[in-house]
Amino acid sequence: MMILKESIVMKIHYGTALGAVFLTVIHILMRMTQDFHESLQYENVIANYEMIGYAIMLELLLILISVHGFNGLRVILLEMKQGPTYEKVVTYGCIASMAILIAYGSRTILLTSMGMV
Amino acid sequence: MEKEPKAKEGIKGWINPAKYRKFSIERFAWILMRITGLGLLAYFIGHIYETSHILDGKAVWDASLEMTQTTEGHIFLALVIGMCVYHTGNGIRLMLGQMGYGIGKPARPDYPYKPQSLNMKGKACIYATIGVAALAMWYGIAVMFG
Repeated sequence: MMILKESIVMKIHYGTALGAVFLTVIHILMRMTQDFHESLQYENVIANYEMIGYAIMLELLLILISVHGFNGLRVILLEMKQGPTYEKVVTYGCIASMAILIAYGSRTILLTSMGMV
Repeated sequence: MEKEPKAKEGIKGWINPAKYRKFSIERFAWILMRITGLGLLAYFIGHIYETSHILDGKAVWDASLEMTQTTEGHIFLALVIGMCVYHTGNGIRLMLGQMGYGIGKPARPDYPYKPQSLNMKGKACIYATIGVAALAMWYGIAVMFG
């Protein structure tokens, strides 16, 4: 069962990895702009979310890591066992988990960046 | 219908570092890549859940943050840093390998059938990645405990 060709999926896997590394570095550097513990204080985190550019970056990071992470999990699970039903369950299970995680994380980003806390 | 071939060993096969009767750093790197990948995915899911506490107000956020502000929390975060750096470094090595860099030229397979791709360049990259991951963990510990 294939939704996309495996070669395309792996290109997406590598692309999301490079994008995620770049954005994670920015995400971590944001914590270094001030004292590490201070940067995690409630008011500072809210201020971070309310910066529209940073909120968009967090959303992108959420999508990139979710796609990369759940595709990685799918690859590991398919390495261990094969079979038409098993592969279908693993593929759709990973896509569903990825969608749920993106939706849940997006809810936090959206509500916080719009000041609904 | 023809029966699908199956990976008979399953998880027992890929967690056994001496599967081919000889330990190799490449196999260790392969196992570590999977363990760090799974660990990072678990951390990411936890991180998304933890940061969602910001919606519940300052008191809940502070309580949730408290968990990571302990010695155990700092050690856990240092491990996450190590996993992240190793997974990134080894991932870049694999991507370069897939593009054909550092895997040697094709040669006639003669006894003792040493694969061209398992060469010193690759081994050095794996050791360097493990070293950089350890340094990053040390830096993370210095920042968190500092």
